[in-house]
Amino acid sequence: MSDITDQNQNQKQKQKQNVPPLRAAAKTATRVPRPLTRPGGYGWVAGALLLLALPFYLDTFWLQAGLFAMAAAIGAIGLNLLTGSTGQLSMGHAFFLAVGAYGYTALAGDSEGRYTGLGLPTWLAALLAVVLTGLAGGLFSPIAGRLRGAYLGIATLALIVIGLHVIDNATDLTGGALGREVPALNLFGFGFDRSELLVAGVPFGSAEKLWYVGLALLLGCALFARGVLRGRPGRAMNAIRDHRIAAGVMGVPVARYRAAVFVLSSMYAGLAGVLLALVFQNVTPSQFGMVVSLQYLAMIVIGGLGSVGGAVVGAVFVSMLPQVLTRYSDALPLVATPGTGGVSPGEASAYLYGAAVVAVVLFLPGGLIRLVARRTTMSTSGEKR
Amino acid sequence: MTTAVPLQVRDVTVRFAGLTALDQVNFTVDPGTVHAVIGPNGAGKSTCFNVLSGVYRATSGSVRFGAHELTGMPPHRIAGLGIARTFQNLALPPRATVADSLLLGRHRLTRTGFVAAGLRLPSAAREEARHRARVREIAAFVGLEDQLDRPAGSLPYGQQKLAELGRALCMEPELLLLDEPVAGMTADERRRTAAVIAGVRDSLGISIVLVEHDMGVVMRLADAVTVLDFGRRIAGGAPADVQNDPAVIRAYLGEDEPAHAEQDGEQDGEQDGEQHAQRDGEAAS
Repeated sequence: MSDITDQNQNQKQKQKQNVPPLRAAAKTATRVPRPLTRPGGYGWVAGALLLLALPFYLDTFWLQAGLFAMAAAIGAIGLNLLTGSTGQLSMGHAFFLAVGAYGYTALAGDSEGRYTGLGLPTWLAALLAVVLTGLAGGLFSPIAGRLRGAYLGIATLALIVIGLHVIDNATDLTGGALGREVPALNLFGFGFDRSELLVAGVPFGSAEKLWYVGLALLLGCALFARGVLRGRPGRAMNAIRDHRIAAGVMGVPVARYRAAVFVLSSMYAGLAGVLLALVFQNVTPSQFGMVVSLQYLAMIVIGGLGSVGGAVVGAVFVSMLPQVLTRYSDALPLVATPGTGGVSPGEASAYLYGAAVVAVVLFLPGGLIRLVARRTTMSTSGEKR
Repeated sequence: MTTAVPLQVRDVTVRFAGLTALDQVNFTVDPGTVHAVIGPNGAGKSTCFNVLSGVYRATSGSVRFGAHELTGMPPHRIAGLGIARTFQNLALPPRATVADSLLLGRHRLTRTGFVAAGLRLPSAAREEARHRARVREIAAFVGLEDQLDRPAGSLPYGQQKLAELGRALCMEPELLLLDEPVAGMTADERRRTAAVIAGVRDSLGISIVLVEHDMGVVMRLADAVTVLDFGRRIAGGAPADVQNDPAVIRAYLGEDEPAHAEQDGEQDGEQDGEQHAQRDGEAAS
């Protein structure tokens, strides 16, 4: 026994000698990211400039489609935190979108005619709508903390049913089946309404102005989620997904984490709901049904479970597909213009992303983001994630 | 490490719907020693670990760590007392890097929450840097410093087991529960792992409870041994005494009885053993 410990101590001494600061420094030096000198860096800058310039060139249809995709991306990032990173299935995401959208509408709207509203400043209403969604998630979190995986998915189905029932019946708040008009955002006197503003000779309507709000929100949400995932909470969440028992034994309070991630995920959905309401300028129950929850699940599966980039890619894919098909329905074979019989663009896109889910699960586990990630790891070896 | 306290297991019984996995088990782990729990397959060793770490709740009996009663505590609170464990089957996420896996072990010692991590507050960055440095030291201690940035799944099996040991050490435990730490390793890996475990006890002063089938490793490392068979403690004491205990030899090699009786007994034993093993496997996975 003594020779083992001797050996070990020798080993340890050797290792201590082997870890001079020199080598450690050399190691970190190779791992320092140099964003602008590697090819990916220019790509990011070019992409950012392109996104900023788009409102000057695209018409309202595409801007609306893009804004829709941004809202979907925010919601998908939230769902991916819950489902992709923590392994907790949720079918109730559309419910939290609805809480955000209707919450904003009711908080910012005025009490006139048959509607009730608080008439708060719109920025405050947006903020409170997100908080409200967090509270709704918090109310459900005792259940979300106790149930795991698919069981939570079934429990959250109830939320959709409850949500639609409330929307249909609380007509003074929601407008019922007809929907309710959404007050335009107004940030410190700058209105994001239909009034046109000339910027460099281009008339800026609500879509153009909202575009930048959407970009800023998406960027903020993505960076926050990435920080969470790369830090201590992210490691705990992944541990719960990968090995629940081991996570508990390592000191992670599993139920509390599940509940907390559920609340965070609902707040992301709430913000997405607010943005959706602002883009559509009208909220109706059909925007928040069961199918919408499934679409969000399709987004994160297609894009890539557990990563922020995957959620964004998947959200853009799933939300842009029907728009693209609608716009080019006359030029595409097998897709009919809406109302003429045959396969409508909406149906065609449902088939397409259904097929995409199957294809991704079979051939690209890890999602579309893997394709991007693989290319960058090939061009810059050694960069992680 | 600072206040060395004993682990006392008193009359612990675990029943699963009529099957008694542990029956009135008693033993004490003295501070700073390696205590081996051995026994044939299905003897209840892993069940015992699951009770100690809070994964299973004992039907009756008590487990005390110093002044704390562990039975009925959820696993994360037991971990919070400084009790770490490794698993018989690997519980290491294959795609996460070794560094990330080890950092998970720092969970109880770190405070960064969702907001601090999401906003990348300076406090979160400082904490992360400090603990990454400590993780690097511990990785060097178990001999994995060069593997820190590799996905855990890409390492050979023996190194994955070492990474799991390293992750448990990252919790800065006072008591370490090791469930078959050298199972499935090559002779060379076994020697290295045994040296690491001895080093943990001698240089860090951590008490260790060890479940192991490799008698060579047990005899070299253990200061005390508890032998279980069919959920009962059949022997205990210093390794050399246990090795020659007739009850232990009987448990491992069977009764010295007429041939037909022996066969019957063994068959029964095997079936029971399989049941236990299945249960243990479920618990570990």
